[in-house]
Amino acid sequence: MTESVIRNKPGMASVKDMPVLQDGPPPGGFAPVRYARRIPNKGPSAMAIFLAAFGAFSYGMYQVGQGNKIRRALKEEKFAARRAILPVLQAEEDERFVKEWKKYLEYEAEVMKDVPGWKVGENVYNSGKWMPPATGELRPEVW
Amino acid sequence: MANVVDAAGEPIPTSSVLMSAAKHIEIKCMPENVEFLKCKKKDPNPEKCLDQGRQATRCALGVLKDLYHRCKDPMEGYVGCMYYYTDEFDLCRKQQQAFEKACPLE
Repeated sequence: MTESVIRNKPGMASVKDMPVLQDGPPPGGFAPVRYARRIPNKGPSAMAIFLAAFGAFSYGMYQVGQGNKIRRALKEEKFAARRAILPVLQAEEDERFVKEWKKYLEYEAEVMKDVPGWKVGENVYNSGKWMPPATGELRPEVW
Repeated sequence: MANVVDAAGEPIPTSSVLMSAAKHIEIKCMPENVEFLKCKKKDPNPEKCLDQGRQATRCALGVLKDLYHRCKDPMEGYVGCMYYYTDEFDLCRKQQQAFEKACPLE
């Protein structure tokens, strides 16, 4: 009933003559819609991009080199300082070692005095060079 | 621990003191140090190089005492900074400049 009320055309003979109620385009049609791709072809070329990347990379590597030079100079300063004070420290340790070694030789003579044919004191290797005593002991109070 | 001299006025050769004065020691004690190293190279036996060692130590301690007498405050500042930062030269640049301005290396 409502359809015929809404879509009524005066002078209708039957329902088959009702005008069609459709949703359609406005008169003249819609405006044309662009659906084609239009990726622009401007901007830097491949060579330009490559040169820019290469430039950034070489600038970075140059800065790395400069930084390495600075760090090497710092390390050189530290090592030069260590080299300068090495004799003082080694001389100190030598004095202490000589004292302890003399004490040890006396102890060895004391212990081995009854052993026949024991040349007390130095009886280390045969090469003639001096080697530090290989006791294998750890002295945590010194280290 | 960051004292340069002990109660009697003798310099204490701790690591911070020695590292702070290392550039001066390098210049002033070069002959003694080189003699000691040559002796060691010839024979690593400690008993053979005691003399050169004593000379090197005497020279270094003399340098420390001399620096302490000439510029006490910058040196104490520098040694204190080195003690705090465990002998890191890069972290004590300010005190190093002050010390080297007061007692220049020649």
